[in-house]
Amino acid sequence: MMSKIKIPSKKRRFSFVAFSILLALALLAGSWGHIFYAERANFFTLFNEQNAEYAKKFFSGLFGLQEEKPAFTDKEAWINAGKLTYETLQMSVMAIGFATIAALLTVIPAARNIADGTLTVSKRWYRWILFGFFRVIYIFSRAIPELVWAMVIVFILKPGILPGAVALALHNFGILGKLCAEVIEDTDARPIRNLASSGASNAQILFYGIIPTVMPKFLTYILYRGEVIMRTSIVVGFVGAGGLGQQFKLSLSYFHYTEITLLLICYIILVFAADFISEGFRKAAK
Amino acid sequence: MKQLLSPLYLHKRLSLTLVLLAAFIWSLFSVTWSRDLLHAGGWATTVQILEGLIKPDLSPDILELAVESSWVTVVYAVTGMTVALIIAFVLGVLGSGVLVSSRPVRIVTAGFSRAVLAIIRAIHELVWALLFVAVIGLSPYAAIFALGIPYGGILGRIFADMLNDVPGEPIQALRAAGASRLHCLMYGYLPLIRSNMISYTMYRFECSIRSSAIMSFVGLGGLGYQIQLSLADLHYDEVWTFLFFLIAIVVLIDAWSNSLRKRLVL
Repeated sequence: MMSKIKIPSKKRRFSFVAFSILLALALLAGSWGHIFYAERANFFTLFNEQNAEYAKKFFSGLFGLQEEKPAFTDKEAWINAGKLTYETLQMSVMAIGFATIAALLTVIPAARNIADGTLTVSKRWYRWILFGFFRVIYIFSRAIPELVWAMVIVFILKPGILPGAVALALHNFGILGKLCAEVIEDTDARPIRNLASSGASNAQILFYGIIPTVMPKFLTYILYRGEVIMRTSIVVGFVGAGGLGQQFKLSLSYFHYTEITLLLICYIILVFAADFISEGFRKAAK
Repeated sequence: MKQLLSPLYLHKRLSLTLVLLAAFIWSLFSVTWSRDLLHAGGWATTVQILEGLIKPDLSPDILELAVESSWVTVVYAVTGMTVALIIAFVLGVLGSGVLVSSRPVRIVTAGFSRAVLAIIRAIHELVWALLFVAVIGLSPYAAIFALGIPYGGILGRIFADMLNDVPGEPIQALRAAGASRLHCLMYGYLPLIRSNMISYTMYRFECSIRSSAIMSFVGLGGLGYQIQLSLADLHYDEVWTFLFFLIAIVVLIDAWSNSLRKRLVL
């Protein structure tokens, strides 16, 4: 009699990672399918003579080949662009300031370990409500891109630096708030609990326990967002919120291509300078 | 030594904070603060916008339009990310210099690739979009490349940094066993950084959804385009419907990437 050996079949669990891979593949196939079949966009028709003509015109315009006096050799234009760059810089600094203030004011109740009381060894019923409230606000403000905020805000505030700064701040407030709340959640709870159990008041816990431990990380995140804001400050200008972006859009509409080159140069200098400075600051903050 | 110097470090951080505060106060002087900052009908508009927030337009037409444009937004984000990943992978590997053995060649190729990455990521995707639309017109490829190029720059830099931060011992073991540079990349570097790469890519994917939504401001379809149209018609309730769809997509992808990250990292 043959004894049957049972070979245990390998159980293949449909894991989350497998699901993610499948979902990613499906998204890829669906998206490229949409591009190829629904939009009927053929990649190779891009390289036709008409587009080559446009490209030639555009680039020779950018380099000022046809113009007698391209903007980037003009002193006036440089001064003007410099002013706009200065404005853009001010707008970004203001934006990061607003975002930081708003985030710092709301971040403490928005941390999970404050809400459930593990950090301060005290429980209050209203803390969960505050936690949920601020977290929803964070999600809301960071899910809406700064450009959309800017479009809405120019309906309320007059065009200028302020609406741009407010729009940038609104978007980055949510991001900074989320990042900083996670920093608080990741802090070592023991020193702070120690403070609490030796009878420190809430304000004392905040000033002697939480702020000194989280401040370096906060500074790093603030500087990092500052870099990003510098880069996006040009974009909010497109809808009339001042700075380099506004002039960029205007020059593009008037077909003043050499001005675009000049503005792009200023923009890239601004971004690189901001990256450089914030890198230095971050090293200092460590 | 470090303990002796710790007051100095503290001092450094304090002065840094003061510098940042001073910069912020300086920036406040650029605006003349008065009631003139508000439009004449500014408050009334604010009230209308907030009313739209409470009562978004949920009629079937608008919902159908919102679903359709959400799909277009996702399509541009996914296709843009494909391009970004290709750029990032190629330039990231070159920029990290792990494939080249001779030192001078490595410095040249790595330096060059990193410079290219720095320049393409310095320009915002919307600026790329405007430039591409000026050159190739309103083709979907304008959006795909406009999204893919700066994201490729960001991802590529991160990939290159990750490759450079790989601990040396496993790679040396592979080298000692006779693996070529390419083998080292395939069996040493990439498996080590895979989970980090995926988690960062997922985070960028979430960002690319937002970017692809605003990509439509140059006229390329999607959620941003509808928001722009509704704003131009002063239909704030429709604006909020589209915004809620955008928020929903972002939150969904955020949740997906969070739970994927939890399973991958560690």
